[in-house]
Amino acid sequence: MNRPPDKAATIESIVADIEPGTTIAFGGGGLQRKPMLAASTIARSPLKNLDVISFLGGPEVDLLVGLDRIHRLHFAFVGFDGLGLAPNFRAARERGALEIVEYSEGLMLAALEAAAKRLPFLPSRFGLGTDVLNTRTTPFIEFDCPVSGERLIAVPSLAPDIAFIHVNEADRQGNALIHSDAFADLLLAQASRRVVLTAERVVDSLPADHSGRSTFISRLWVDTVVEAPGGGGVSAVYPNYRFDLPRILNYQEQPASDASLESFMVNSR
Amino acid sequence: MTDDGFTLEELLISRMAREFEGNRLGVGASILSDLAARLAKVLYVPDLFLTTSSRAAADCGVHPKSLSDEWVLAGSARMSLDWEQMFRLIPQQRLQIWIGAVQIDRQGSSNISVIGPWEQPRVQLVGARGIPDDLWGCERLNYHIRHHSRRSFVERVDFVCGFGYTEERNAFRQRPARPGTVVSDLGVFAFDGEDGPMTIESLHPGVDFDTVQSRTGFAFDDERNAFPVTKAPSSEELDVIRNVIDPLGLRRLESAESSKALYLELWERDLATYGCRAGASVAG
Repeated sequence: MNRPPDKAATIESIVADIEPGTTIAFGGGGLQRKPMLAASTIARSPLKNLDVISFLGGPEVDLLVGLDRIHRLHFAFVGFDGLGLAPNFRAARERGALEIVEYSEGLMLAALEAAAKRLPFLPSRFGLGTDVLNTRTTPFIEFDCPVSGERLIAVPSLAPDIAFIHVNEADRQGNALIHSDAFADLLLAQASRRVVLTAERVVDSLPADHSGRSTFISRLWVDTVVEAPGGGGVSAVYPNYRFDLPRILNYQEQPASDASLESFMVNSR
Repeated sequence: MTDDGFTLEELLISRMAREFEGNRLGVGASILSDLAARLAKVLYVPDLFLTTSSRAAADCGVHPKSLSDEWVLAGSARMSLDWEQMFRLIPQQRLQIWIGAVQIDRQGSSNISVIGPWEQPRVQLVGARGIPDDLWGCERLNYHIRHHSRRSFVERVDFVCGFGYTEERNAFRQRPARPGTVVSDLGVFAFDGEDGPMTIESLHPGVDFDTVQSRTGFAFDDERNAFPVTKAPSSEELDVIRNVIDPLGLRRLESAESSKALYLELWERDLATYGCRAGASVAG
Protein backbone atom coordinates (compact mmCIF):
# COMPACT_ATOMS: atom_id res chain seq x y z
CA MET A 1 0.00 0.00 0.00
CA ASN A 2 1.25 3.46 -0.80
CA ARG A 3 1.90 5.70 2.14
CA PRO A 4 -0.06 8.95 1.98
CA PRO A 5 2.07 12.07 1.48
CA ASP A 6 3.56 13.36 4.71
CA LYS A 7 2.91 17.07 5.29
CA ALA A 8 5.30 17.37 8.21
CA ALA A 9 7.98 20.05 7.99
CA THR A 10 10.09 22.23 10.23
CA ILE A 11 8.97 25.71 11.12
CA GLU A 12 12.36 27.09 10.05
CA SER A 13 11.99 25.73 6.52
CA ILE A 14 8.50 27.20 6.19
CA VAL A 15 9.52 30.64 7.40
CA ALA A 16 12.63 30.57 5.20
CA ASP A 17 10.37 30.17 2.15
CA ILE A 18 8.16 33.16 2.98
CA GLU A 19 8.68 35.89 0.39
CA PRO A 20 8.60 39.63 1.00
CA GLY A 21 5.12 41.07 0.59
CA THR A 22 3.43 37.92 1.87
CA THR A 23 0.26 38.42 3.91
CA ILE A 24 0.52 36.32 7.08
CA ALA A 25 -2.41 35.41 9.35
CA PHE A 26 -2.31 34.09 12.90
CA GLY A 27 -5.07 32.04 14.50
CA GLY A 28 -6.21 31.84 18.09
CA GLY A 29 -7.56 34.76 20.07
CA GLY A 30 -6.13 37.13 22.69
CA LEU A 31 -4.24 35.02 25.20
CA GLN A 32 -5.52 31.72 23.84
CA ARG A 33 -3.90 29.24 21.47
CA LYS A 34 -1.58 31.71 19.76
CA PRO A 35 0.96 30.33 17.26
CA MET A 36 3.91 31.65 19.25
CA LEU A 37 6.45 29.23 17.76
CA ALA A 38 5.57 30.54 14.31
CA ALA A 39 5.73 34.17 15.47
CA SER A 40 9.06 33.52 17.23
CA THR A 41 10.56 31.91 14.14
CA ILE A 42 9.49 34.90 12.05
CA ALA A 43 10.97 37.15 14.74
CA ARG A 44 14.34 35.35 14.38
CA SER A 45 14.24 35.55 10.58
CA PRO A 46 15.14 38.63 8.53
CA LEU A 47 11.51 39.08 7.40
CA LYS A 48 10.30 42.68 7.62
CA ASN A 49 7.48 44.91 6.42
CA LEU A 50 4.94 42.15 6.88
CA ASP A 51 1.25 42.43 6.20
CA VAL A 52 -0.31 40.66 9.17
CA ILE A 53 -3.89 39.59 9.81
CA SER A 54 -4.96 38.73 13.34
CA PHE A 55 -8.68 38.52 14.06
CA LEU A 56 -8.09 38.80 17.81
CA GLY A 57 -4.42 39.67 18.21
CA GLY A 58 -2.40 38.98 21.34
CA PRO A 59 1.22 38.25 22.22
CA GLU A 60 2.13 37.22 18.65
CA VAL A 61 1.19 40.67 17.35
CA ASP A 62 2.84 42.49 20.24
CA LEU A 63 6.10 40.56 19.79
CA LEU A 64 6.31 41.26 16.06
CA VAL A 65 5.32 44.92 16.47
CA GLY A 66 7.89 45.25 19.26
CA LEU A 67 10.55 44.00 16.83
CA ASP A 68 9.28 46.36 14.11
CA ARG A 69 8.42 43.56 11.69
CA ILE A 70 4.87 44.56 10.84
CA HIS A 71 4.17 47.15 8.19
CA ARG A 72 0.40 46.84 8.25
CA LEU A 73 -1.95 45.05 10.64
CA HIS A 74 -5.52 43.95 9.91
CA PHE A 75 -7.37 43.26 13.17
CA ALA A 76 -10.58 43.49 15.16
CA PHE A 77 -8.86 43.42 18.55
CA VAL A 78 -5.32 43.45 19.93
CA GLY A 79 -4.79 42.98 23.65
CA PHE A 80 -3.96 40.70 26.53
CA ASP A 81 -7.61 40.06 27.48
CA GLY A 82 -8.07 40.57 31.23
CA LEU A 83 -4.39 41.41 31.68
CA GLY A 84 -4.56 44.71 29.85
CA LEU A 85 -3.43 46.39 26.65
CA ALA A 86 -0.75 45.04 24.32
CA PRO A 87 2.08 47.45 25.15
CA ASN A 88 4.25 47.41 22.02
CA PHE A 89 1.21 47.61 19.76
CA ARG A 90 0.01 50.54 21.82
CA ALA A 91 3.38 52.32 21.74
CA ALA A 92 3.82 51.86 17.99
CA ARG A 93 0.37 53.27 17.27
CA GLU A 94 0.93 56.22 19.57
CA ARG A 95 4.19 56.97 17.72
CA GLY A 96 2.30 56.80 14.43
CA ALA A 97 4.64 53.98 13.42
CA LEU A 98 2.14 51.22 12.61
CA GLU A 99 -0.31 51.16 9.71
CA ILE A 100 -3.56 49.48 10.68
CA VAL A 101 -6.79 48.38 9.04
CA GLU A 102 -9.43 48.27 11.74
CA TYR A 103 -12.25 45.75 11.49
CA SER A 104 -14.98 44.72 13.88
CA GLU A 105 -15.25 41.03 14.68
CA GLY A 106 -18.27 40.60 12.45
CA LEU A 107 -16.63 42.45 9.57
CA MET A 108 -13.46 40.33 9.80
CA LEU A 109 -15.55 37.16 9.74
CA ALA A 110 -17.39 38.44 6.65
CA ALA A 111 -14.08 39.25 4.93
CA LEU A 112 -12.70 35.77 5.63
CA GLU A 113 -15.97 34.15 4.56
CA ALA A 114 -15.80 36.05 1.26
CA ALA A 115 -12.23 34.82 0.78
CA ALA A 116 -13.23 31.24 1.58
CA LYS A 117 -15.98 31.40 -1.03
CA ARG A 118 -13.69 33.17 -3.51
CA LEU A 119 -16.14 36.06 -3.68
CA PRO A 120 -15.05 39.69 -4.09
CA PHE A 121 -17.14 40.77 -1.09
CA LEU A 122 -20.01 39.84 1.20
CA PRO A 123 -22.70 42.18 2.52
CA SER A 124 -22.92 43.04 6.19
CA ARG A 125 -25.03 45.18 8.44
CA PHE A 126 -22.44 45.01 11.24
CA GLY A 127 -20.55 48.27 11.57
CA LEU A 128 -23.09 50.60 9.93
CA GLY A 129 -22.97 54.11 11.33
CA THR A 130 -19.72 53.54 13.25
CA ASP A 131 -16.27 55.04 12.81
CA VAL A 132 -14.89 51.73 11.53
CA LEU A 133 -16.24 52.99 8.19
CA ASN A 134 -14.50 56.35 8.54
CA THR A 135 -10.83 55.47 8.99
CA ARG A 136 -8.26 56.40 6.34
CA THR A 137 -7.59 52.75 5.55
CA THR A 138 -11.14 51.43 5.74
CA PRO A 139 -11.77 48.73 3.12
CA PHE A 140 -15.55 48.88 3.60
CA ILE A 141 -17.93 50.36 1.04
CA GLU A 142 -21.53 51.30 1.81
CA PHE A 143 -24.13 50.46 -0.80
CA ASP A 144 -27.89 50.21 -1.19
CA CYS A 145 -28.99 46.60 -1.21
CA PRO A 146 -30.39 45.63 -4.65
CA VAL A 147 -32.87 43.29 -2.94
CA SER A 148 -34.20 45.17 0.08
CA GLY A 149 -33.05 48.72 -0.64
CA GLU A 150 -31.55 49.10 2.83
CA ARG A 151 -28.09 50.49 3.33
CA LEU A 152 -25.48 47.76 3.80
CA ILE A 153 -21.71 47.41 3.81
CA ALA A 154 -19.69 45.60 1.15
CA VAL A 155 -16.92 43.79 3.01
CA PRO A 156 -14.08 43.01 0.59
CA SER A 157 -12.54 39.56 0.69
CA LEU A 158 -9.44 39.19 2.87
CA ALA A 159 -7.36 36.18 1.81
CA PRO A 160 -4.14 35.50 3.73
CA ASP A 161 -1.27 34.09 1.67
CA ILE A 162 -0.32 31.91 4.60
CA ALA A 163 -2.05 31.17 7.91
CA PHE A 164 -0.42 29.78 11.04
CA ILE A 165 -2.84 27.98 13.36
CA HIS A 166 -1.83 26.26 16.58
CA VAL A 167 -3.80 23.08 17.33
CA ASN A 168 -3.81 20.47 20.07
CA GLU A 169 -3.12 17.49 17.86
CA ALA A 170 -2.66 16.73 14.19
CA ASP A 171 -1.74 13.76 12.03
CA ARG A 172 0.86 13.82 9.27
CA GLN A 173 -1.75 14.31 6.57
CA GLY A 174 -3.01 17.51 8.20
CA ASN A 175 -6.14 16.38 9.98
CA ALA A 176 -6.29 18.22 13.28
CA LEU A 177 -8.26 18.80 16.44
CA ILE A 178 -8.66 21.98 18.42
CA HIS A 179 -10.01 21.18 21.86
CA SER A 180 -12.71 23.77 22.28
CA ASP A 181 -11.61 27.38 21.71
CA ALA A 182 -11.59 27.36 17.90
CA PHE A 183 -12.39 31.08 17.53
CA ALA A 184 -12.51 31.68 13.74
CA ASP A 185 -9.72 29.25 12.91
CA LEU A 186 -11.71 26.79 10.82
CA LEU A 187 -12.87 29.71 8.69
CA LEU A 188 -9.34 31.15 8.61
CA ALA A 189 -8.03 27.84 7.28
CA GLN A 190 -10.62 27.91 4.52
CA ALA A 191 -9.89 31.54 3.62
CA SER A 192 -6.10 31.17 3.34
CA ARG A 193 -4.05 30.19 0.30
CA ARG A 194 -1.67 28.15 2.41
CA VAL A 195 -2.29 26.69 5.87
CA VAL A 196 0.41 25.69 8.33
CA LEU A 197 -0.62 23.93 11.51
CA THR A 198 1.66 23.87 14.52
CA ALA A 199 0.55 21.09 16.84
CA GLU A 200 1.17 20.32 20.47
CA ARG A 201 1.29 16.69 19.39
CA VAL A 202 1.65 14.98 16.02
CA VAL A 203 0.02 11.55 16.06
CA ASP A 204 -0.17 8.68 13.58
CA SER A 205 -3.91 8.91 13.46
CA LEU A 206 -6.48 11.00 15.26
CA PRO A 207 -9.24 9.23 17.14
CA ALA A 208 -12.01 8.34 14.70
CA ASP A 209 -14.58 9.45 17.25
CA HIS A 210 -13.82 13.00 18.26
CA SER A 211 -17.19 13.89 19.69
CA GLY A 212 -17.41 16.55 22.33
CA ARG A 213 -16.40 20.16 22.09
CA SER A 214 -13.42 19.74 19.81
CA THR A 215 -13.21 21.28 16.35
CA PHE A 216 -11.96 19.10 13.52
CA ILE A 217 -9.89 20.60 10.71
CA SER A 218 -9.71 18.40 7.63
CA ARG A 219 -6.46 17.71 5.76
CA LEU A 220 -8.26 19.16 2.72
CA TRP A 221 -7.59 22.60 4.16
CA VAL A 222 -4.05 21.97 5.39
CA ASP A 223 -0.73 22.15 3.57
CA THR A 224 1.87 21.68 6.29
CA VAL A 225 2.11 20.28 9.81
CA VAL A 226 4.77 21.20 12.35
CA GLU A 227 5.21 19.37 15.64
CA ALA A 228 5.36 22.10 18.27
CA PRO A 229 4.96 21.03 21.90
CA GLY A 230 4.62 24.21 23.92
CA GLY A 231 4.14 26.10 20.64
CA GLY A 232 1.49 28.32 22.21
CA GLY A 233 4.22 29.94 24.33
CA VAL A 234 2.80 32.36 26.89
CA SER A 235 -0.74 31.88 25.60
CA ALA A 236 -3.14 29.26 26.94
CA VAL A 237 -3.56 25.98 25.10
CA TYR A 238 -6.52 24.20 26.62
CA PRO A 239 -6.28 21.65 28.16
CA ASN A 240 -2.48 21.39 27.95
CA TYR A 241 -1.47 24.57 29.74
CA ARG A 242 -2.78 27.89 30.99
CA PHE A 243 -1.50 31.27 29.85
CA ASP A 244 1.65 32.38 31.70
CA LEU A 245 0.33 35.18 33.87
CA PRO A 246 3.57 36.05 35.72
CA ARG A 247 5.54 36.21 32.46
CA ILE A 248 2.94 38.40 30.79
CA LEU A 249 2.80 40.82 33.73
CA ASN A 250 6.61 41.07 33.73
CA TYR A 251 6.62 41.71 29.98
CA GLN A 252 4.21 44.59 30.43
CA GLU A 253 6.61 46.41 32.74
CA GLN A 254 9.36 46.77 30.10
CA PRO A 255 7.79 45.58 26.88
CA ALA A 256 10.41 46.91 24.49
CA SER A 257 13.42 45.42 26.29
CA ASP A 258 15.37 42.58 24.70
CA ALA A 259 14.73 40.46 27.78
CA SER A 260 10.95 40.94 27.55
CA LEU A 261 10.80 40.23 23.83
CA GLU A 262 12.99 37.17 24.33
CA SER A 263 10.65 36.00 27.11
CA PHE A 264 7.78 35.75 24.58
CA MET A 265 9.84 33.63 22.17
CA VAL A 266 9.43 29.89 21.82
CA ASN A 267 12.24 27.59 20.68
CA SER A 268 11.54 24.78 18.28
CA ARG A 269 12.35 21.40 19.68
CA MET B 1 -16.35 47.11 52.64
CA THR B 2 -18.95 49.75 53.36
CA ASP B 3 -20.57 50.18 56.74
CA ASP B 4 -23.47 48.24 55.29
CA GLY B 5 -21.43 45.07 55.09
CA PHE B 6 -20.84 44.77 51.34
CA THR B 7 -18.26 46.07 48.90
CA LEU B 8 -18.74 48.33 45.89
CA GLU B 9 -17.93 45.34 43.67
CA GLU B 10 -20.67 43.26 45.29
CA LEU B 11 -23.13 46.12 44.85
CA LEU B 12 -22.30 46.34 41.13
CA ILE B 13 -22.56 42.58 40.59
CA SER B 14 -25.99 42.62 42.22
CA ARG B 15 -27.21 45.54 40.10
CA MET B 16 -25.86 44.19 36.82
CA ALA B 17 -27.43 40.78 37.45
CA ARG B 18 -30.86 42.34 37.09
CA GLU B 19 -30.48 43.06 33.38
CA PHE B 20 -30.52 39.44 32.18
CA GLU B 21 -33.47 37.52 30.76
CA GLY B 22 -33.72 33.83 30.07
CA ASN B 23 -33.08 31.61 27.05
CA ARG B 24 -30.45 33.97 25.67
CA LEU B 25 -26.73 34.42 26.10
CA GLY B 26 -25.70 36.35 29.17
CA VAL B 27 -22.25 37.80 28.61
CA GLY B 28 -20.21 40.07 30.84
CA ALA B 29 -16.99 41.41 29.33
CA SER B 30 -15.60 42.51 32.70
CA ILE B 31 -14.99 40.34 35.77
CA LEU B 32 -17.84 41.96 37.69
CA SER B 33 -20.35 41.70 34.85
CA ASP B 34 -19.34 38.09 34.19
CA LEU B 35 -20.05 37.39 37.85
CA ALA B 36 -23.36 39.21 37.46
CA ALA B 37 -24.41 36.77 34.73
CA ARG B 38 -23.55 33.85 37.01
CA LEU B 39 -25.43 35.41 39.93
CA ALA B 40 -28.47 35.91 37.68
CA LYS B 41 -28.38 32.27 36.62
CA VAL B 42 -28.17 31.02 40.22
CA LEU B 43 -30.95 33.16 41.63
CA TYR B 44 -33.16 34.62 38.92
CA VAL B 45 -32.70 33.26 35.39
CA PRO B 46 -32.01 29.52 35.48
CA ASP B 47 -32.08 29.20 31.70
CA LEU B 48 -29.52 31.94 31.09
CA PHE B 49 -26.94 30.70 28.58
CA LEU B 50 -23.42 31.19 29.99
CA THR B 51 -20.11 30.88 28.12
CA THR B 52 -16.44 31.61 28.63
CA SER B 53 -15.13 34.73 26.92
CA SER B 54 -13.72 32.59 24.10
CA ARG B 55 -17.14 30.88 23.86
CA ALA B 56 -15.16 27.61 24.10
CA ALA B 57 -17.20 26.28 26.99
CA ALA B 58 -20.81 27.18 26.34
CA ASP B 59 -24.19 26.53 27.88
CA CYS B 60 -22.47 25.50 31.07
CA GLY B 61 -23.66 25.37 34.64
CA VAL B 62 -22.54 27.75 37.33
CA HIS B 63 -18.93 27.43 38.44
CA PRO B 64 -16.66 29.51 40.65
CA LYS B 65 -14.86 32.15 38.61
CA SER B 66 -11.25 31.38 37.67
CA LEU B 67 -8.56 33.32 35.81
CA SER B 68 -8.72 30.35 33.42
CA ASP B 69 -12.45 29.84 33.03
CA GLU B 70 -11.81 27.51 30.06
CA TRP B 71 -10.46 24.98 32.55
CA VAL B 72 -13.21 25.26 35.13
CA LEU B 73 -16.34 25.82 33.05
CA ALA B 74 -15.42 22.91 30.79
CA GLY B 75 -16.73 20.68 33.57
CA SER B 76 -20.35 21.18 32.57
CA ALA B 77 -20.29 22.80 29.11
CA ARG B 78 -22.83 21.36 26.69
CA MET B 79 -21.05 22.69 23.63
CA SER B 80 -18.37 24.88 22.17
CA LEU B 81 -19.97 27.88 20.50
CA ASP B 82 -18.06 28.65 17.33
CA TRP B 83 -17.78 32.27 16.31
CA GLU B 84 -19.64 31.91 13.04
CA GLN B 85 -22.67 30.66 14.96
CA MET B 86 -22.15 33.43 17.50
CA PHE B 87 -22.46 36.00 14.72
CA ARG B 88 -25.73 34.44 13.63
CA LEU B 89 -27.09 34.57 17.17
CA ILE B 90 -26.27 38.26 17.50
CA PRO B 91 -28.53 39.54 14.66
CA GLN B 92 -31.33 37.45 16.12
CA GLN B 93 -31.18 39.27 19.47
CA ARG B 94 -29.92 36.24 21.41
CA LEU B 95 -27.04 38.13 23.02
CA GLN B 96 -27.32 40.17 26.21
CA ILE B 97 -24.07 41.90 27.06
CA TRP B 98 -22.32 44.16 29.53
CA ILE B 99 -19.50 45.94 27.70
CA GLY B 100 -16.48 47.38 29.52
CA ALA B 101 -16.31 50.66 27.60
CA VAL B 102 -13.48 53.14 28.07
CA GLN B 103 -15.53 56.16 26.93
CA ILE B 104 -19.26 56.69 26.92
CA ASP B 105 -21.00 59.93 26.02
CA ARG B 106 -24.20 61.66 26.98
CA GLN B 107 -26.02 60.22 23.96
CA GLY B 108 -24.88 56.70 24.74
CA SER B 109 -22.22 56.25 22.07
CA SER B 110 -19.28 54.11 23.22
CA ASN B 111 -15.59 53.66 22.49
CA ILE B 112 -12.95 51.00 23.20
CA SER B 113 -10.74 51.70 20.18
CA VAL B 114 -8.61 54.86 20.55
CA ILE B 115 -8.39 58.03 22.64
CA GLY B 116 -7.50 61.03 20.51
CA PRO B 117 -7.13 60.96 16.73
CA TRP B 118 -7.34 57.51 15.12
CA GLU B 119 -4.38 58.26 12.83
CA GLN B 120 -2.00 58.68 15.78
CA PRO B 121 -3.91 58.17 19.00
CA ARG B 122 -3.01 59.53 22.40
CA VAL B 123 -3.97 56.13 23.74
CA GLN B 124 -4.35 53.06 21.57
CA LEU B 125 -6.87 50.74 23.22
CA VAL B 126 -7.93 47.31 21.94
CA GLY B 127 -9.82 48.17 18.73
CA ALA B 128 -13.55 48.25 18.02
CA ARG B 129 -13.88 44.50 18.62
CA GLY B 130 -17.54 43.41 18.71
CA ILE B 131 -19.33 46.64 19.54
CA PRO B 132 -20.10 47.63 15.90
CA ASP B 133 -21.63 44.14 15.55
CA ASP B 134 -23.53 43.97 18.84
CA LEU B 135 -24.99 47.34 17.82
CA TRP B 136 -26.78 45.60 14.95
CA GLY B 137 -28.22 42.69 16.87
CA CYS B 138 -28.57 43.24 20.57
CA GLU B 139 -31.73 44.78 21.88
CA ARG B 140 -29.66 47.08 24.06
CA LEU B 141 -26.03 47.56 25.04
CA ASN B 142 -25.20 47.81 28.73
CA TYR B 143 -21.95 49.34 29.92
CA HIS B 144 -19.77 48.76 32.94
CA ILE B 145 -17.37 51.71 33.33
CA ARG B 146 -14.87 51.03 36.09
CA HIS B 147 -13.60 54.54 36.77
CA HIS B 148 -16.14 57.33 36.56
CA SER B 149 -14.25 60.43 35.43
CA ARG B 150 -14.34 63.29 32.96
CA ARG B 151 -12.22 61.10 30.70
CA SER B 152 -14.66 58.18 30.69
CA PHE B 153 -18.00 60.05 30.77
CA VAL B 154 -17.52 62.50 27.90
CA GLU B 155 -19.56 64.90 25.78
CA ARG B 156 -18.63 62.98 22.61
CA VAL B 157 -16.60 59.80 22.26
CA ASP B 158 -13.37 60.10 20.26
CA PHE B 159 -14.19 57.09 18.08
CA VAL B 160 -17.69 55.71 17.61
CA CYS B 161 -17.64 51.94 18.12
CA GLY B 162 -21.35 51.92 18.83
CA PHE B 163 -23.63 54.91 18.44
CA GLY B 164 -26.38 55.79 20.88
CA TYR B 165 -29.22 58.26 20.45
CA THR B 166 -27.52 60.28 17.73
CA GLU B 167 -29.23 62.00 14.80
CA GLU B 168 -28.23 59.42 12.23
CA ARG B 169 -30.03 56.75 14.21
CA ASN B 170 -33.14 57.33 12.13
CA ALA B 171 -31.28 56.99 8.84
CA PHE B 172 -31.47 53.21 9.01
CA ARG B 173 -34.36 50.91 8.26
CA GLN B 174 -33.24 48.31 10.79
CA ARG B 175 -33.30 49.39 14.45
CA PRO B 176 -29.87 49.42 16.06
CA ALA B 177 -29.41 48.51 19.72
CA ARG B 178 -30.52 51.07 22.29
CA PRO B 179 -27.98 52.27 24.83
CA GLY B 180 -29.08 50.44 27.97
CA THR B 181 -27.95 50.66 31.56
CA VAL B 182 -24.58 52.16 32.51
CA VAL B 183 -22.95 51.39 35.85
CA SER B 184 -19.85 53.03 37.29
CA ASP B 185 -18.16 53.21 40.66
CA LEU B 186 -20.44 56.17 41.46
CA GLY B 187 -23.89 55.22 40.26
CA VAL B 188 -26.31 53.70 37.80
CA PHE B 189 -27.32 55.61 34.69
CA ALA B 190 -29.95 55.22 31.99
CA PHE B 191 -31.20 56.78 28.77
CA ASP B 192 -34.78 57.85 29.07
CA GLY B 193 -36.14 58.89 25.73
CA GLU B 194 -35.37 58.35 22.09
CA ASP B 195 -33.05 61.33 22.18
CA GLY B 196 -31.15 60.40 25.33
CA PRO B 197 -29.50 62.05 27.15
CA MET B 198 -27.93 60.00 29.93
CA THR B 199 -29.76 60.40 33.23
CA ILE B 200 -29.14 59.28 36.78
CA GLU B 201 -31.03 56.18 37.88
CA SER B 202 -29.39 55.88 41.30
CA LEU B 203 -26.28 56.88 43.18
CA HIS B 204 -24.29 54.39 45.20
CA PRO B 205 -24.38 54.66 49.02
CA GLY B 206 -22.40 57.69 50.19
CA VAL B 207 -22.16 59.31 46.73
CA ASP B 208 -23.74 62.73 46.19
CA PHE B 209 -24.77 64.51 43.01
CA ASP B 210 -21.98 67.09 43.16
CA THR B 211 -19.36 64.34 43.17
CA VAL B 212 -20.89 62.66 40.14
CA GLN B 213 -21.30 65.93 38.26
CA SER B 214 -17.74 67.02 38.97
CA ARG B 215 -16.44 63.69 37.64
CA THR B 216 -18.61 63.76 34.49
CA GLY B 217 -17.60 65.50 31.26
CA PHE B 218 -21.13 66.71 30.47
CA ALA B 219 -23.94 68.33 32.45
CA PHE B 220 -26.72 66.14 33.77
CA ASP B 221 -29.25 69.04 33.87
CA ASP B 222 -30.93 67.36 36.80
CA GLU B 223 -32.81 69.53 39.27
CA ARG B 224 -33.72 66.86 41.77
CA ASN B 225 -32.56 67.46 45.32
CA ALA B 226 -32.40 63.81 46.21
CA PHE B 227 -31.62 60.68 44.24
CA PRO B 228 -32.46 57.03 44.75
CA VAL B 229 -29.69 55.01 46.35
CA THR B 230 -28.54 51.93 44.44
CA LYS B 231 -30.26 48.94 46.02
CA ALA B 232 -28.00 46.98 48.34
CA PRO B 233 -27.31 43.34 47.52
CA SER B 234 -29.46 40.93 49.49
CA SER B 235 -27.89 38.57 52.01
CA GLU B 236 -28.77 35.73 49.63
CA GLU B 237 -26.92 37.49 46.79
CA LEU B 238 -23.90 38.13 48.99
CA ASP B 239 -23.82 34.48 49.98
CA VAL B 240 -23.87 33.35 46.34
CA ILE B 241 -21.20 35.88 45.32
CA ARG B 242 -18.82 35.03 48.17
CA ASN B 243 -19.35 31.29 48.48
CA VAL B 244 -20.56 30.01 45.12
CA ILE B 245 -19.44 32.10 42.15
CA ASP B 246 -16.36 33.92 43.46
CA PRO B 247 -14.85 32.16 46.45
CA LEU B 248 -11.34 33.11 45.22
CA GLY B 249 -12.25 36.82 45.33
CA LEU B 250 -11.37 37.68 41.71
CA ARG B 251 -13.81 40.59 41.97
CA ARG B 252 -11.05 42.38 43.91
CA LEU B 253 -9.14 42.68 40.59
CA GLU B 254 -11.70 45.31 39.56
CA SER B 255 -11.54 47.19 42.84
CA ALA B 256 -9.35 50.10 43.89
CA GLU B 257 -6.89 47.63 45.48
CA SER B 258 -6.08 45.90 42.16
CA SER B 259 -2.34 45.54 41.58
CA LYS B 260 0.23 43.25 40.03
CA ALA B 261 0.84 41.74 43.47
CA LEU B 262 -2.87 40.97 43.84
CA TYR B 263 -2.93 39.32 40.39
CA LEU B 264 0.02 37.11 41.35
CA GLU B 265 -1.52 36.24 44.71
CA LEU B 266 -4.87 35.28 43.18
CA TRP B 267 -3.15 33.42 40.34
CA GLU B 268 -1.34 31.19 42.85
CA ARG B 269 -4.58 30.59 44.72
CA ASP B 270 -6.37 29.83 41.45
CA LEU B 271 -3.71 27.29 40.43
CA ALA B 272 -3.75 25.66 43.85
CA THR B 273 -7.54 25.36 43.72
CA TYR B 274 -8.19 24.33 40.12
CA GLY B 275 -4.82 23.09 38.89
CA CYS B 276 -3.26 23.51 35.47
CA ARG B 277 -5.12 20.80 33.68
CA ALA B 278 -8.72 20.60 32.67
CA GLY B 279 -11.27 18.08 33.73
CA ALA B 280 -11.90 14.77 32.01
CA SER B 281 -14.55 16.07 29.66
CA VAL B 282 -12.16 16.75 26.80
CA ALA B 283 -10.69 14.18 24.44
CA GLY B 284 -6.95 13.71 24.27
